[in-house]
Amino acid sequence: MERNEILKQVNAIFVDILDNETLVLSDSTTANDVEDWDSLTHIHLVVAIEKGFGIRFTSQEIQSWNNIGELVDCIASKK
Amino acid sequence: MNQEQTSTMNYIVEQISIKNQLHSKKITKNLAKFDEAYFKRANDFLKRYATLLQNEGKTLDYSIDCYLQMIADVNYESVQFLQTGEYTSKSFDEVNQRVYNNPSVMEYYMHGLLLSQFLWTHHYDILLYFNKIINQNAAHINNYLEVGGGHGLYISEAIGIIGDKANYDLVDISKSSLEIAKKMISNDKVNYMLTDVFEYFPENKYDFITMGEVLEHVEDPVSLLKKLHTLLSENGKLYITTPTNAPAIDHIYLFKNADDIRKVIHEAGFNIENEFCIYSEDMPVEKAEKYKVSMMYAGVLTKK
Repeated sequence: MERNEILKQVNAIFVDILDNETLVLSDSTTANDVEDWDSLTHIHLVVAIEKGFGIRFTSQEIQSWNNIGELVDCIASKK
Repeated sequence: MNQEQTSTMNYIVEQISIKNQLHSKKITKNLAKFDEAYFKRANDFLKRYATLLQNEGKTLDYSIDCYLQMIADVNYESVQFLQTGEYTSKSFDEVNQRVYNNPSVMEYYMHGLLLSQFLWTHHYDILLYFNKIINQNAAHINNYLEVGGGHGLYISEAIGIIGDKANYDLVDISKSSLEIAKKMISNDKVNYMLTDVFEYFPENKYDFITMGEVLEHVEDPVSLLKKLHTLLSENGKLYITTPTNAPAIDHIYLFKNADDIRKVIHEAGFNIENEFCIYSEDMPVEKAEKYKVSMMYAGVLTKK
């Protein structure tokens, strides 16, 4: 799966879970850039990403991403 | 609030923001709503906790790392819970092996829980509710029992309100939990008993029993409440708290909503005299339900 395609799909999941139609993510986006992305919504994002991509993350991975780019890389490594 | 009160909390928040950006957003939001009274209580608690850490040769940084490890566990358990609709642990034996009989897990888990007491909004609201209930009933309490004392905060609060006239007993099944309670309770009035409450047969009945966040740790909460029923005097009161939808490494029994809890209470032979429910996240009810946010239930129960 192309990296850009993964980012596009992740963006759509964030828009859905955070109810924010205007959200545009890039590799450098962090939680500080997205108001509603906190520890609670993160869990729901993880669940939606696992379902959307048919993958499972480990406990360490869920805590490890510093930005969207690292999340996309992690998904890419499992596809 | 004074410099000392803000500095310890500020340090904890600052370290959490460095180590876990997502979680720090929640903590920052939580602390913003608190008043001076909160920071005074938090500081009193943190002072006692700092002494405990010092006596064990540990630092606040160690405790913050323990807390974040516990948060990592909760996050992972939450993902599993949302995927399956169930808690991952199904039996007491499983949790015993995974947590209670696993010293390295118990170590960070106990310290994580201690720190969470004043970082999670709903813990403080529940403490204030408990304070109100004890104040209303203090005149009639001469024999007080707490089951599963943990950090010792509740029994300390009760002693502060009821005073020296009452007898105070604390029963806990976990040695490490009881040791922490002994260190956190700065009062020699408490009788500590390391035993399974099912094996506990005291001579006298209790006027007031407190059992905070224990029901979710057992396979059969009705049996546990029935046991407490036998320990309570005819006009005595039982104060319980337990959460709904709260995945954690040592939670077994899943209450999906407050009605699930009320059902268990009634089945065990109790009436609900008073109750208080609060979500663990400060947000509108619709949003809390959408995100399956855990709700803490507190109830004052009397015998039917």
